[in-house]
Amino acid sequence: MHPKGRYRIPLLLVLTLLLVFSVLSLSLKRSPALSKLQGLVVSMTAPGMEGLSYVGRSAKQLWLGYFYLVGVRRQNAELQGHLEEYKQREVLFQEAQQALTRLEVLLDLKRQVALPVIGARVIAYDPSLWSRSAIINQGKAQGVKEGLPVLAPQGIVGRIVGVYPEYSKVMLIVDRKSGADAMVQRTRIRGMLKGKGGNRCALEFVPKSADVQVGDLVLASGLVGLYPKGLVFGKVTAANKKNPGVFQEIEVTPSVDLSTLEEVLVVKVATLAFPEP
Amino acid sequence: MIAPLIAFSLLGLILFYVQTLVLFPYVHLRLLALLLFYVGLRPSLPLALALSLVLGCLQDSYATTPFGLHLGASLVLVAVARYSRRGLLLQQLGFQALASLAALALQEVGLQLGAFMLSYQPLFSYNLTKVHSIEILSTAALGPLMHLLVQGVDNCLRRLGWRPRSDPMPYQPFGE
Repeated sequence: MHPKGRYRIPLLLVLTLLLVFSVLSLSLKRSPALSKLQGLVVSMTAPGMEGLSYVGRSAKQLWLGYFYLVGVRRQNAELQGHLEEYKQREVLFQEAQQALTRLEVLLDLKRQVALPVIGARVIAYDPSLWSRSAIINQGKAQGVKEGLPVLAPQGIVGRIVGVYPEYSKVMLIVDRKSGADAMVQRTRIRGMLKGKGGNRCALEFVPKSADVQVGDLVLASGLVGLYPKGLVFGKVTAANKKNPGVFQEIEVTPSVDLSTLEEVLVVKVATLAFPEP
Repeated sequence: MIAPLIAFSLLGLILFYVQTLVLFPYVHLRLLALLLFYVGLRPSLPLALALSLVLGCLQDSYATTPFGLHLGASLVLVAVARYSRRGLLLQQLGFQALASLAALALQEVGLQLGAFMLSYQPLFSYNLTKVHSIEILSTAALGPLMHLLVQGVDNCLRRLGWRPRSDPMPYQPFGE
């Protein structure tokens, strides 16, 4: 073998291993260069994801709006028969609908005044089971910053952990690195809500003497200032006092379906330690 | 090496899009790991290493785990693929699938160890372990399909005029 070629493979292996260990070391030191590299990769690959997602949505809309209607037309003829029966109820429904619309507008207004937000669309998820994160289509250019909370109409989604020029990375509350101060709505007992991967969280450091029951709502306490006080994290789905130790094992299921998010709101307030009303 | 690296990186990107936009959250598969394993079985080690860096970087950029965790785990896959290639002389698709199962399992062990060393809370919950096991088994079952896909990319590249270094030179008669 040529002397140059003899050392090629070992040299390659050593260089690759060196690169990986350097990257890991830089990652632990939160190097800005790595953050830029991540931003570059996401900025290069996310537009494709966004485009494909748009094509998929358009195709779905076309199907629902046109092809599907061919079948719907047949059903429509049958439903005409039932229509007369429901006409009487329609007036009542319309009244209720109008009241609902008015209340929704009021609620939206209240939200807008209390917390300035940016609307964002979720364009990608981390498909591995190792972390739970999502990429949204709002970034530094739109004023998104690290640490900002992300909400959905049903409750808290997570917070921003990476900001790139046009995109941001959201760490979902079920991610194993996620932790936030939370309280049980009914008894005001506080604990630390930790992500457990999959679609679960756990309320930790709650003493066994505390009254926590299945079905209790878990809210953000607002104490550390990560999430706005009073917003919903989820519901208690299991509470075990029979485990060893001084704390209960409390499982919390998020109120938001974190695997099928479409639109979210990024709260544009850096520090959210609101005073008690 | 550049042409196959670009082609396989594009294939990896497409698989990543499919995983994110179509399969997630209902089906969990490690398509990128499988692709890397089958590329690792090919003769070129530099190509496998370069692809492991590209795909590891892509996965790390979308995850919240420490940057480099998937990168390191990708090297485990390449190492197992190279060992299988040399030590076991893989010829049949069934054996390749079994070897890919072993590679995926070792990658998972590598990920757990890496996470533990980086003080990242490892996954030991019963439910998640079950999901991981099913994910690994289903991914390994797709091995023959990935073999065909990798071979298809290879054939496309050859049709476009690319020829690996290990191939013999085409015959050229004297006097022409």
